[in-house]
Amino acid sequence: MTTAEAGPARRTGVPGFVTAHGWRVVVGLALVFLMLYPVVSDDLYYQNMIILSLLLAIMGSGWNIISGFTGYVSLGQSAFLGIGAYTTALFAVKVFEGASPFWFIPISAVVAGIFAAVVGSVLTRTRGHAFVILTIAFLFVMQIVTLNWSDLTNGNHGLSLPLPLWNIDYQNWPFYYSLLGLMLLSVAMSWWIRRTKLGMGLIAIREDESKAASVGVNTSVYKVLSFVASAIFIGAAGGLYAYYLTFIDPRGMFDIVVSVQVVLAVLLGGRGTILGPVLGAFILEPLNEITNNEFSGGNERLIFFGGLLALVVLFLPRGVIPSVAELWARWRGAGKAALVGARIERPVAVREADAEPEPAHGTGRSLLEVRDVSRRFGGLRALDGCALEVEEGTITALIGPNGSGKTTLFNIIDGTMSADSGEIRFDGAPIDGLPPWERAHRGIGRTFQITRLFREMTVLENVVAPLRSFSWRQLAADAVSGAEAQRAQELLDFVGMRAFAEQRAAALSFGQQKLVELAQILMLDPRLIMLDEPAGGINPTLVDHIVEMIRELNRQGKTFLIVEHNMPMVLGLCDPVLVLARGSCICRGTPAEIQRDERVLDAYLGEHYVADQQAGVS
Amino acid sequence: MTQFVQALILGLMIGGVYALLASGLTLIFGVMDVINVAQGALIILSAFITWALWKEVGIDPLLGALITTPAMFVIGWVIYRLTIQWISGRPASTSVLLTFALALVLEGIMGLVWSTTYHSSTPGYVDESFRAGSFYFPKAQLFGCAIAVGVLAALYMMLTRTWLGRAIRAVSENVSSARLVGVNARKVAALTFALGVATTGAGGSIASVLYPFLPGSHYQWISRLLGIIVLGGMGSLPGALVGALTLGVAETMTVTYISPRWATMVPYAVIMVVLLARPQGIMGAKLREDVVV
Repeated sequence: MTTAEAGPARRTGVPGFVTAHGWRVVVGLALVFLMLYPVVSDDLYYQNMIILSLLLAIMGSGWNIISGFTGYVSLGQSAFLGIGAYTTALFAVKVFEGASPFWFIPISAVVAGIFAAVVGSVLTRTRGHAFVILTIAFLFVMQIVTLNWSDLTNGNHGLSLPLPLWNIDYQNWPFYYSLLGLMLLSVAMSWWIRRTKLGMGLIAIREDESKAASVGVNTSVYKVLSFVASAIFIGAAGGLYAYYLTFIDPRGMFDIVVSVQVVLAVLLGGRGTILGPVLGAFILEPLNEITNNEFSGGNERLIFFGGLLALVVLFLPRGVIPSVAELWARWRGAGKAALVGARIERPVAVREADAEPEPAHGTGRSLLEVRDVSRRFGGLRALDGCALEVEEGTITALIGPNGSGKTTLFNIIDGTMSADSGEIRFDGAPIDGLPPWERAHRGIGRTFQITRLFREMTVLENVVAPLRSFSWRQLAADAVSGAEAQRAQELLDFVGMRAFAEQRAAALSFGQQKLVELAQILMLDPRLIMLDEPAGGINPTLVDHIVEMIRELNRQGKTFLIVEHNMPMVLGLCDPVLVLARGSCICRGTPAEIQRDERVLDAYLGEHYVADQQAGVS
Repeated sequence: MTQFVQALILGLMIGGVYALLASGLTLIFGVMDVINVAQGALIILSAFITWALWKEVGIDPLLGALITTPAMFVIGWVIYRLTIQWISGRPASTSVLLTFALALVLEGIMGLVWSTTYHSSTPGYVDESFRAGSFYFPKAQLFGCAIAVGVLAALYMMLTRTWLGRAIRAVSENVSSARLVGVNARKVAALTFALGVATTGAGGSIASVLYPFLPGSHYQWISRLLGIIVLGGMGSLPGALVGALTLGVAETMTVTYISPRWATMVPYAVIMVVLLARPQGIMGAKLREDVVV
């Protein structure tokens, strides 16, 4: 796929399948085949195989939202199959006896969604290993509860549903077409989510969750929504599956091996892609049938699935679709070569004439107040009663030796980390209790010492990703709207990175990433911009370029708090300068005052140096 | 009261065995950040080997630990070389998926070799007990616990007193620093994994006497072990001991006072409560999360 092609997948940056014309034809033909198959052929064996493939495809599509988009790997997704199955079965057997189970499929979807909302809001507070373990625990808890609550569920003995009553000539058509419809709906939902703000936020969470929160993405809501979205169609499919089987029991319905099959199908097809889960399901399920026929028991299936999963994890971690797409692109020689040699343009908005820029003047109002903040890591006091103030309109520097607590302070101000004690006030109001995204919405923008861009997104997407507010309606808005793209282009122009807009962020050099990260937080239109070592690790020309930009932004009314070790830059640019040592702010003054202050020399160089100087030794 | 103390005694004895099994899992996690989900299946494998040795050759199942421990060490080393070492640096979930896959393969292989029915090693002393006042100490539990504590002590000595032990602890604290001072981190990781799996040798032999088992029992074991190390603090050996004793007692109490049916729920309940309320567990240090690499 070339970046020049049009279509939603290009804008959202997924190496997609759907965009290429040839693939559209293939997908269309496959769909026609699926629509017509039961009419053309009355072979029940293959009908059953397709039905099970559709089921797996629906589950895979669901799993792909929480695990492919959001990056939270769940091994408990088959719990929603069981929840859906038991919901439909209980309604059909205990509540409205004699009614067709088809009526209860929507209820299954809703119940699965409610479970996902409740469980998800708790589970998504953890990450990584903890989340995977919790999803496994959730699945087994559901199984045990279903087994033991036999008054309701009949426990071990399972539940029998009414047998289908329709004319035998129609075979399994109602199941077949309902599942086909559900699959199309769930794929459509994935596609739609992927092109909205919600989808973009989910990818941002996958790439770097703390960063996403710090640029205004309400990660809690996003994660819960993606968990719910990943569960509802699985719930509905569970209802259909229960009716199709006409008998369900806890071990079969809350089966971790089913979860593993789902994971395997999506990994096989391509995690994070729209059609990968479907492709994977239609590869895996026939294989499953073949092993069922070739071998007698479940042991061979375990070996087969386990072995295949291990092979896919080891050798094909990205899945078939992304791998093929990459090969295809390479074969065609498509895809822009990285713009390694392109020049970073001079910022357009900066006036060149200012040889002697006048120092920034504060308004006298305090924008940020840090009061007596402490934070310990085990026995280490990173911050110890730190108190400081940033005046509105200034370019304030925060300097101090390594390990003095500067980055920890940044993390506490932007909410990535919480303080053990003390208070942070922004614009007169305390912000301690606020999550990072709320702080971003209030006007705090922050860059990182080691840049943290969303690596798999393009530069343009990175700049568009920040959100200045949260609203439910916004979630459904287009990921990149015209006005935002316009604004992002302007910001990229400002930092001189417009030529790189379509590049993947990971392909940029460190200095280029710093510029993009600056443009990214400018998208928040922050009142306070906190830069963590903007000049660290980049060449002197670029440092000048950054200094010019900071001055220009300051003229436009932005307040800066800058952590920096490049002293000539700090002393020429900033006023006042705050000095942090051993976790507290030891002094504040103009650059000239700071240069003379003995406490500062002491903090940086140790008392001997000061003493030696006084004695004239040096 | 008698009933309570008796449940406590049984819980602590079984907890000692759990401690040995959980130590391997937590050791592997601490050093290489891998949750070895196959640990449960390896326990069952060791139990089957023990059972076969007892049935076919007549070796006492508890003495079988002398054979299964080195055997499992070798198996662990092979597994590491063939699979785990290729995924270092990949996301956390990758190791869970990979070791889960291994667990499934092992389950299938054991089902083929030994069938999917319940097995149990039942040497003569399995139904006998020592009595002390109104309390009884089942011999199998007591011997099993003693062996487990012995192996655990040996493991602890090895970790604290030998060069390899220091290297392992260094790698678990900070891989790059360990490399800088000349520790071959990859070799240490392989040995740690093998060592962690070796604990399933003795542990599986003991387990084969204490519980009936079939290939599918590994789910129960791995959830129990996960519950323990989550409770104790992932990666902490003393934590694994505390967690194991707590979980052992919690299980016997549930069996005594509620119902055996709900005892299987205990590990999951523990996992959920601990991970959500105090994710670092009892012994886990509160580590900073913003470390920039």
